[in-house]
Amino acid sequence: MDELRKQALAAAGVDVDAALARMMGSEALLLRLLKKFLDDQNFSKLQAAVSAGDQEAALAASHTLKGVCGNLSMPALFDLLTRQVAAFRAGDWEGAAALLAEIAPAYARVVDAIREACA
Amino acid sequence: MDMLSPGDVSAPGSLLIVDDDAINRAILDNLFAPFYPIEEAEDGDEGLARILARPERFCAVLLDVVMPRMSGLEVLERLRESALTEKLPVFLITAEASDENMRRAYDLGVMDVISKPVVPYIVLKRVQSVIELFQARKRLRRTVKSQQTELLAQAEKIIRLNQGMIEALSTAIEFRSEESGDHVRRIHDITWNLLTYTPLGDGLDDEAIHQIALASIMHDVGKIAIPDAILNKPGKLTAEEYAIMKTHTTQGALLLERIPQLRETGLYAYAADIARHHHERWDGRGYPDGLRGDEISVWAQAVSLADVYDALINKRVYKAAFSRERALEMIRNGDCGVFGPRLLDCFFAVEERLFSLYRR
Repeated sequence: MDELRKQALAAAGVDVDAALARMMGSEALLLRLLKKFLDDQNFSKLQAAVSAGDQEAALAASHTLKGVCGNLSMPALFDLLTRQVAAFRAGDWEGAAALLAEIAPAYARVVDAIREACA
Repeated sequence: MDMLSPGDVSAPGSLLIVDDDAINRAILDNLFAPFYPIEEAEDGDEGLARILARPERFCAVLLDVVMPRMSGLEVLERLRESALTEKLPVFLITAEASDENMRRAYDLGVMDVISKPVVPYIVLKRVQSVIELFQARKRLRRTVKSQQTELLAQAEKIIRLNQGMIEALSTAIEFRSEESGDHVRRIHDITWNLLTYTPLGDGLDDEAIHQIALASIMHDVGKIAIPDAILNKPGKLTAEEYAIMKTHTTQGALLLERIPQLRETGLYAYAADIARHHHERWDGRGYPDGLRGDEISVWAQAVSLADVYDALINKRVYKAAFSRERALEMIRNGDCGVFGPRLLDCFFAVEERLFSLYRR
């Protein structure tokens, strides 16, 4: 992977070196999984659950998305989702739902950067 | 304990990854694929079904916690119910491990809780160590089991050898009175049948009856101390000769007493008693001790009747065989010794079976 792509991904919130380490250095696997991330349904599930007021589904989607972002080394997104899961668990529905306003642009940035890098 | 033992010991089995997210599964798959065959399940339900279908197939399970249909903790509960957590190491891989969940997981027998995002070298090392430990345990169990089987087989061989030695010794001694090995075997069988199929054996378990029957074989070992001229004399014995002949009972008991290996077994007490007392009589006029009635042990009584019966039915050096009818009449009339009424009842009840020993 060239430096430009790496920098673009890093700027969007993907720690490429950490992610590669987790893939045992396999760039092919990292690219494959980043593309797969584009198809991941958990973010749209989270949005739908929050607007429908479905707390259980919202927590499940937020939790799963957090795990994936962690494994793909997306620290900004991971931190936001960690806070949201904690808020859901603490029963702070308002606070958790409000975090979606920060999560959505962070998610969009990552998705755009991946589309760019993998195009 | 056999759940995991069949199959090839050297192959550790597959690693099962249970996670609802394909990205997480792919990362773990990539990490472990160089070391184990990998299988994947997309939720707890599927994972549990795979494990329950063939638990021996897997070397370890990596289990996500939050999954649709069935959570990781529920899977763990079900594995625990099937007593599988003791044989199959299960690892929880979770993005946030609350204290409550951790405690619950460890209570349910989880091997380790590993946090997500995974750190490759840590998760590899932890999982591999545990798999190796379980493999080593499995190998050890197998070794112990095969050694046990071997020891049992050796013990059985020794028991058979012992019986063979006892038969050989007794047959060699009987051989001097021109008896064949058949006599020894028949005394064994008659004694065994009397004690097994009649109330005479009440209070004796199978092992005791087995020992008594084996002991009965040695009833005449004392004859080794009797000179040929007396032992095989065709005519009637003089009073002096008869007195010597009678010492085969006490000589037999003495001989057996001098075999320390025999004295250490449960067989000895029966063998010594039978050798000494198989010529006692119910009316107290037998030898060597003049015991009377139930002073004579049940086994010594049984062997004395077995010996008489075989002597009558079978041809001996000093006489032809009697007919079966004549032999039974002589026993009933007390012509060949006086026996207890209960012994006689039991004997006649089972005589048909005893006689069949001679038809072989």
